[in-house]
Amino acid sequence: MADRKSTQPGFDFSKAKGPRATPVVGGDEAAAQAPPPWPVSLLVRHIKESLSECFPAAISVVGEISNFKRHSSGHLYFRLKDANAAIDAVMFRTAAARLKFEPADGLEVVAQGRIDVYDQRGQLQICIDRLSPKGAGELELAFQQLRAKLQAEGLFDAAAKKPLPMYPRAIGLITSPTGAAVRDIARTLARRWPAADVYLLPVMVQGAEAAGQVAAAVALLDAGAGRLNIDTLIVARGGGSLEDLWAFNEEIVARAIFAARTPIVCGVGHEVDVTIADLVADVRAATPTAAAELAVPDADAVRRGVATLAGRMTRRVGETVRSARAELTGLLRSSVFRDPGAAVRTHTRRVDELSHCLASGLAAQVAQARRAMEAPAAALAGLHPVRLVDRARAAVDALQASLRWNLGARAKRGGESLLRLEGRLTAALPRHRLALARQRVEAAARQLEAMSYRSVLARGFSVTRDSRGQIVRSAAAVAAGEILSTQVSDGAIASRVMGGGEGGPPPPAAAPARRSKKHSPDSGPGLFDDKPSQPRQDEP
Amino acid sequence: MSTQPNTPQNETAKPTFEQALAQLEGIVEKIESGQVPLEQAIEMYAQGTRLVQQCRTILDAAEKKIQLLSKNADGSLTVAGELEDETQV
Repeated sequence: MADRKSTQPGFDFSKAKGPRATPVVGGDEAAAQAPPPWPVSLLVRHIKESLSECFPAAISVVGEISNFKRHSSGHLYFRLKDANAAIDAVMFRTAAARLKFEPADGLEVVAQGRIDVYDQRGQLQICIDRLSPKGAGELELAFQQLRAKLQAEGLFDAAAKKPLPMYPRAIGLITSPTGAAVRDIARTLARRWPAADVYLLPVMVQGAEAAGQVAAAVALLDAGAGRLNIDTLIVARGGGSLEDLWAFNEEIVARAIFAARTPIVCGVGHEVDVTIADLVADVRAATPTAAAELAVPDADAVRRGVATLAGRMTRRVGETVRSARAELTGLLRSSVFRDPGAAVRTHTRRVDELSHCLASGLAAQVAQARRAMEAPAAALAGLHPVRLVDRARAAVDALQASLRWNLGARAKRGGESLLRLEGRLTAALPRHRLALARQRVEAAARQLEAMSYRSVLARGFSVTRDSRGQIVRSAAAVAAGEILSTQVSDGAIASRVMGGGEGGPPPPAAAPARRSKKHSPDSGPGLFDDKPSQPRQDEP
Repeated sequence: MSTQPNTPQNETAKPTFEQALAQLEGIVEKIESGQVPLEQAIEMYAQGTRLVQQCRTILDAAEKKIQLLSKNADGSLTVAGELEDETQV
């Protein structure tokens, strides 16, 4: 290269004109004198080298971006133009990574870089090292751009904001362990809500690493919140320049805050400062102190609230107790307690009434049933065997009466005819025949009487009975010492047996006893007492 | 509370202030509704009084030092100590 450069030094316009003059001049002579043609690569290199000599290493150019393209390699390709001209521009990955804002078509920018030629195409281009928006600062633009982008994505939506717990149990703090912010927050939390535990995850809040640390800390505390009972996060930083606060305008921080499940209060900078982190956070606070105030309630106010609740409860329960006591007093004065038996009596009365009703109801029912039964019972009674017998007996009686009447009438008639016959007979027969007939009748009567045992007694016979009233028929039937009763014609003689009778052994006791029943004094001789004598007494 | 700073996984049994307060509010509402029989009201009053006491205990908790967390290699967090007194910060 160096020797090449020495033989063909620089980009010489006079030399360059040479080849261009050749066609104009023409002629074999001129052609023979002309240098050999340039190879393309040599030409391009020559141009490239001439340009680098012409332009200092870095130039600054102002223009509008067009045809912006971000290649997957990370390089940016676009064109810078103004009203009349345009030049291709390239920003390689390392330079592009330092950009805070997002280049876009139509954006007026100031680009710093060097003029270059792209060998493969021989294209003139500017390689940009630094790019900044024209007019506004780079950070302002970056802020506006990120805000617009995140807003479009909904990261600031009120609907996405999580409510803070009313009474936090533990607070996770993401800030620098040194500086005013952490001190202000600690003091405010201790004053307002000492009940909460406070955990600090220290981070750098300024510098190139700050955004990454803050984002990581948010994710870390959010993930570990449950174990520590952390229910509120505070992201804070004291005041500073836009550059100082820049970490809180980084997209990585915004996305970490948005992704967290734990509600986050953000207090960065002073009142006037607004960062992207503030906008994404669930609650935005003007300052770190304000963030702490918003994160926790005021214990004094809460204490008053608890006291109010306690008072309301006590008052109401007191009223309840008093009214219950009054009610009790009223009850004690009531008739129930003055006359405790009244209720019982009332109930007793009621029971009585009911049982009465029950009884009368039963009686009525029985009576009704009885009435219902009467007719069938009467019918049934008519069929009773006794009645049938009665009826039959009445019929027999009637028959008997009529029979008797009939017989009586016939007997009367017979008697009358007998009297008439007697009269005729008397008239017909002589007296002695009548007396003879009478003698015959008397003889018959005597004979009849003799057959009676009384007449036997009268003839000197007697009847002897043992102590059991049995007629003694055998000597063997009496035992010595037994009392015997002997009936004679005019009375009875009691005697004792002096000696045993001869003959066989006495018969078994059962046999005479059995016989005695059959021949009792009433059924035996009694029959002879009256019947034979009476006709004799009645006849005369 | 006087728990060691290295064991932050405590307080699981006790109701939180929010729970205690919510219970207390529920009790007061019920009692004020007048629907609660006397005996139950007195029981609830006793419970409410306990809750008031719990709330007050939490409210009167001593001021706590800020505990410093550090990240372990596995990404978990450990309480590494307490932040120095604010006068020294």
